[in-house]
Amino acid sequence: MFITSLYRITIFAWQSFWRNFWLSLVTITIIILTFISVNFLIIINISTDAAINIVKDKVDVSVYFKPEVAEPQVNEVKTYLSSLTQVKEIGYVSQQEALENFRQTHRNDSDIIESLAELKDNPIGATLQIKAKNIESYPEIMQVLDNSKYNDLILDKNFEDHKVYIEKIQSLSANIRKVGLILSGTFFLIALLIVFNTIRVAIYTHRHEIGVMKLVGATNWFIRAPFLVEAVFYGIIACVASIVIVYPILNFIQPYLNNFFLSQDFNVISYFNQNFFKIFGLELLVVILLNIISSSIAIRRYLRV
Amino acid sequence: MIIFKNVSKLYQSDVIALKNVNLHIKPKEFISIVGRSGTGKTTLVKTLIAEEIPTSGKVIIGGWDITNIKPAEVPVLRRQIGVVFQDFKLLGKKTVFENVAFALEVCGTDRSKILEIVPQVLKIVSLTGKEDRYPIQLSGGEQQRVAIARSLVHRPKILIADEPTGNLDSFNTQEIMELLLKINEFGTTVVLVTHNREVVNSINKRVITLDNGTVVSDQKVGKYLI
Repeated sequence: MFITSLYRITIFAWQSFWRNFWLSLVTITIIILTFISVNFLIIINISTDAAINIVKDKVDVSVYFKPEVAEPQVNEVKTYLSSLTQVKEIGYVSQQEALENFRQTHRNDSDIIESLAELKDNPIGATLQIKAKNIESYPEIMQVLDNSKYNDLILDKNFEDHKVYIEKIQSLSANIRKVGLILSGTFFLIALLIVFNTIRVAIYTHRHEIGVMKLVGATNWFIRAPFLVEAVFYGIIACVASIVIVYPILNFIQPYLNNFFLSQDFNVISYFNQNFFKIFGLELLVVILLNIISSSIAIRRYLRV
Repeated sequence: MIIFKNVSKLYQSDVIALKNVNLHIKPKEFISIVGRSGTGKTTLVKTLIAEEIPTSGKVIIGGWDITNIKPAEVPVLRRQIGVVFQDFKLLGKKTVFENVAFALEVCGTDRSKILEIVPQVLKIVSLTGKEDRYPIQLSGGEQQRVAIARSLVHRPKILIADEPTGNLDSFNTQEIMELLLKINEFGTTVVLVTHNREVVNSINKRVITLDNGTVVSDQKVGKYLI
């Protein structure tokens, strides 16, 4: 009997879905927009995370020594820094290499090249390129270096630029996330109201059937359930439609992301594939839950059994 | 047995629909409840199917006090009481068969059982052969017979007919009355609510007359008084 009733409830819900087809279509469209905005938020999240990781990976601190500092002293500093737990690796650029690099960088600037030629001694000191295990450790390493006896040997350090760069990405992504959240929240709210109204209209359209159902002794849950099932239909159909829409969008943006990251490593499609059930399953659950809440309120308000 | 014990129903605290109604209706009885419009006949019917709760007094059906019936018990009660109305309350997009079957479908009856019961009740109301017609393709009398068939699918002990002939001509009225008498002969208690004088006077059954919400007359073999 339960299976029979469940089957009939589903049939009634499906009939109701088609009877108010245009209203159902509008409802589904709004839920699809909600799904897409949430997925857009996910794309933003994973893209900015990837961007930050790439930048973090490229971050290092260059410590420029004064030209008069000799190689053994630089090596001493290198050994000292290597002993710090925060440090991952240290690269050494000798005075000669540093000069070559400088020449290469300014090879088109004849004034600089000529000035260098006039100088007897190498005006550029050696450089140590420090990579920390964690990006948060750089200020700490810098502090250790500042307070060490080697501070006088150092001409300059260049950490601040990277820090600003990362902070900019983080602030930009936080702002985009905020906009995305507001957008998703708005769509969620609109979807809730639309589902509420659709169920209200469905109840009105079925008022004769409801009256007969009550008259012949249908149970309250049997009268109410088709409207809840109808709301669940909206969620399922919108979810399937949003999958069909989101994947071509991912395909479209993937080349742009590859260009942006200058790498093929970050693949948003494979991220969605790997987390397919986690992403769409969770979204579907939330939408179904919200639809049920919304339609329950409409049923409680407008369906007197 | 249907018992009304000092039943009163007030709307908005000052509109009296029923006032101290006391009634005993025996099983298999055929009674007519008559009276002018607005005398409380429909309220009486509504208290029987728990659509209205009496303000005071008790309504007992087959030993079951339904005065303060729980919402979950209402469907159980309604499956034991068949009801037909003046406006038939048929679903226009369903055929005769589907309209009757609908009453069983919404109560979870198996398809095989539906295919067994529906032809039986359609035979009782003489609608065999018209199963595939839509209400709009039927006469008023036939539509009312579909409504009666629908009310019979749960094999109710009581059938309430609220102005069943109100929209019918005299020929169809006669047909419906014969059908109600036939159903009564099968052992179903029939409560007929009407203000059709000719109908009441022709059947020679018990007549209860209501006026301003009170029972002013209860005759075993009665006539339409007012």
